[in-house]
Amino acid sequence: MSNVRFVFPKHRLAEVLRQPGGLPVSEALERAHANLELIKPSCRAELMELLEMAEACFAKLDQTYDDAGLVELYSLAVRGIGAGTVCGTPAVDEGLTSLCDLIDHLRTHQTYDRNAIGVNVRAWRLLTTPNLPAEGAASVLDGLRKVSKRYAEPSAAVAAQA
Amino acid sequence: MALDPASRARFNLERATILLLDDTPVGMSILVQIVTGLGAKQLYRCSTVEQAREVAVTHQLDLAIVDSLSPSGGGYDFVKWMRQSAAEPNCYTPVLVTTAHTPARDVTRARDCGGHILIKKPIAPVVMLERIIWVSKEGRTFLYSDGYIGPDRRFRDEPPPGGVGRRRGDVAAEDEPAAAPEEEPAEMTLKDLKAS
Repeated sequence: MSNVRFVFPKHRLAEVLRQPGGLPVSEALERAHANLELIKPSCRAELMELLEMAEACFAKLDQTYDDAGLVELYSLAVRGIGAGTVCGTPAVDEGLTSLCDLIDHLRTHQTYDRNAIGVNVRAWRLLTTPNLPAEGAASVLDGLRKVSKRYAEPSAAVAAQA
Repeated sequence: MALDPASRARFNLERATILLLDDTPVGMSILVQIVTGLGAKQLYRCSTVEQAREVAVTHQLDLAIVDSLSPSGGGYDFVKWMRQSAAEPNCYTPVLVTTAHTPARDVTRARDCGGHILIKKPIAPVVMLERIIWVSKEGRTFLYSDGYIGPDRRFRDEPPPGGVGRRRGDVAAEDEPAAAPEEEPAEMTLKDLKAS
């Protein structure tokens, strides 16, 4: 049994939020969305740069288990999550999350499927297409989730590899 | 924790000093646009844990929005450092931890770092505002134990799993009448804020 000591700190945030002035919730949210609209072009440029780096990283990924390559690819994918929604291509964020899930499963279970990674990287480029029909994006994402899920459990990872 | 996006209730972030930690330009840019849109003006933008520590040592912070810095997870270490080593009042500062993806090996690290709440990217402005208002609510106790320092992670006054508690208070509580359940985060409203 652990000894626990409780402290009841007072912090200033609640007090600051109640200060006179400020913004109505609706206006603040409108401003935040307008701000995000302003950075759409730079966000897209960064996302495309990450994609090109990821494609180059995938191209040099070994045919056999390549932990360093997986780490590098994960680092690139994780940096892009969040940018897709700002750019108006929210499916990119889901696709990148799926890629991160897949790499995490592969590393956790020390297994490898270069083709599955390739599918995710190619999907990344497809999902960045502006005005991609929602049904098409949903279908791609469904496929990516299935690929990733195959490696979620150790036994499933072995079966998927066989 | 639902917040009506059309609400006319007012809040004021102008005087809040906020630390932002994110090591990616795009992540920092998105965060800055969201919080400035919500009215925040005093921001300390940090792209490394070292910068964030320096700010936490030299400035009083009202809020910290800290990315996990995946894949290193350095953001979790920074929050843990804040809880264990930062001076008062920053050791109690509300911390929102943002994460793009949490690898399996970092789940317990995320749970135990001492953040108030975890926010998954992509972050919608309404979600950020809901979390800021929620963490601002007073009454969240901090606890110090052998393995954890931070805000109490128990949100519900329910019996421990299997009936065996891990805190001394759990044992004592067995002989006492059940306390009224605490308010859950889902019940958060803007009632404490000024309505226009």
